[in-house]
Amino acid sequence: MNCKTARVFMSAAVDGEISFKEEKGFLSHLSECKECCDEFDDAKKTKMIIKERIIQFKAPQALIDSIMQLTNCST
Amino acid sequence: MDKPAPTHQTKTPTKPEALSREERQKQLEFQKEAVEHLHSLYNYALHITMNPNDAEDLVQETYLKAYRFFNSFERGTNCKAWLFKILKNNYINRFRKNSKEPGKVDYDLIKDFYHSIKDTRRDSSEADTDYFHSLLHEEVYQALLSLPEEFREVIQLCDIEGFTYEEIANMVDSPIGTVRSRLYRGRKLLRVQLEEYAKKYGFNTGKAQ
Repeated sequence: MNCKTARVFMSAAVDGEISFKEEKGFLSHLSECKECCDEFDDAKKTKMIIKERIIQFKAPQALIDSIMQLTNCST
Repeated sequence: MDKPAPTHQTKTPTKPEALSREERQKQLEFQKEAVEHLHSLYNYALHITMNPNDAEDLVQETYLKAYRFFNSFERGTNCKAWLFKILKNNYINRFRKNSKEPGKVDYDLIKDFYHSIKDTRRDSSEADTDYFHSLLHEEVYQALLSLPEEFREVIQLCDIEGFTYEEIANMVDSPIGTVRSRLYRGRKLLRVQLEEYAKKYGFNTGKAQ
């Protein structure tokens, strides 16, 4: 695998969307290419940042209530 | 003179006992499958509308539609993905058409909104001295907002919502290969933005200039 192909698989490798065979080729390329290796680390880190830093808000109670009412069957 | 035809049933509050067994079954299932994703949908709506009121409307509409068409939901597939797709279509049909042009985001509004709400998630791995960990959520959020929509969208769906490539491809009506490359390019752009913030605050990003 060369750098160009490795970049095609980069995000898939970050997200676990890569086949076993592709991953083998990808990792073997990383082991001999510092640039792609760094890029892979950066991409993984960027994903982590987004996951950790973006706040998830709670939906307003009024919204929850009105949607629950739509589906309310118990009482 | 359009006289409203009084053919439609007047609104009588549906009493639980008045519901058919089938309807009750549907409600129960809907509650179990769909309502648990409400917070995710609200957050996503907030991200795309940039306005809490619009977000509420959008989620409300989405659930109404979802409930109406719940029979067409393919059992056993990801209900959250199905709801997101409905939400996205609703958004395109209703909001994007007549509200602000793409790219015209009210940063102040969303920033105020962020400030008005306390961070409910606590950071787990503060021990890490990586400069990224010194970035605040506002900065990360701004960085995300600065991306072109096509990149921001897939990053949100993948990294925040945890959808698979196949589910994302379906939501954005593009092949998986496109999702893959948008994620690749989007993360690179995001990285550049984040580094800008880090530099601004005097952190060494470890990259030679």
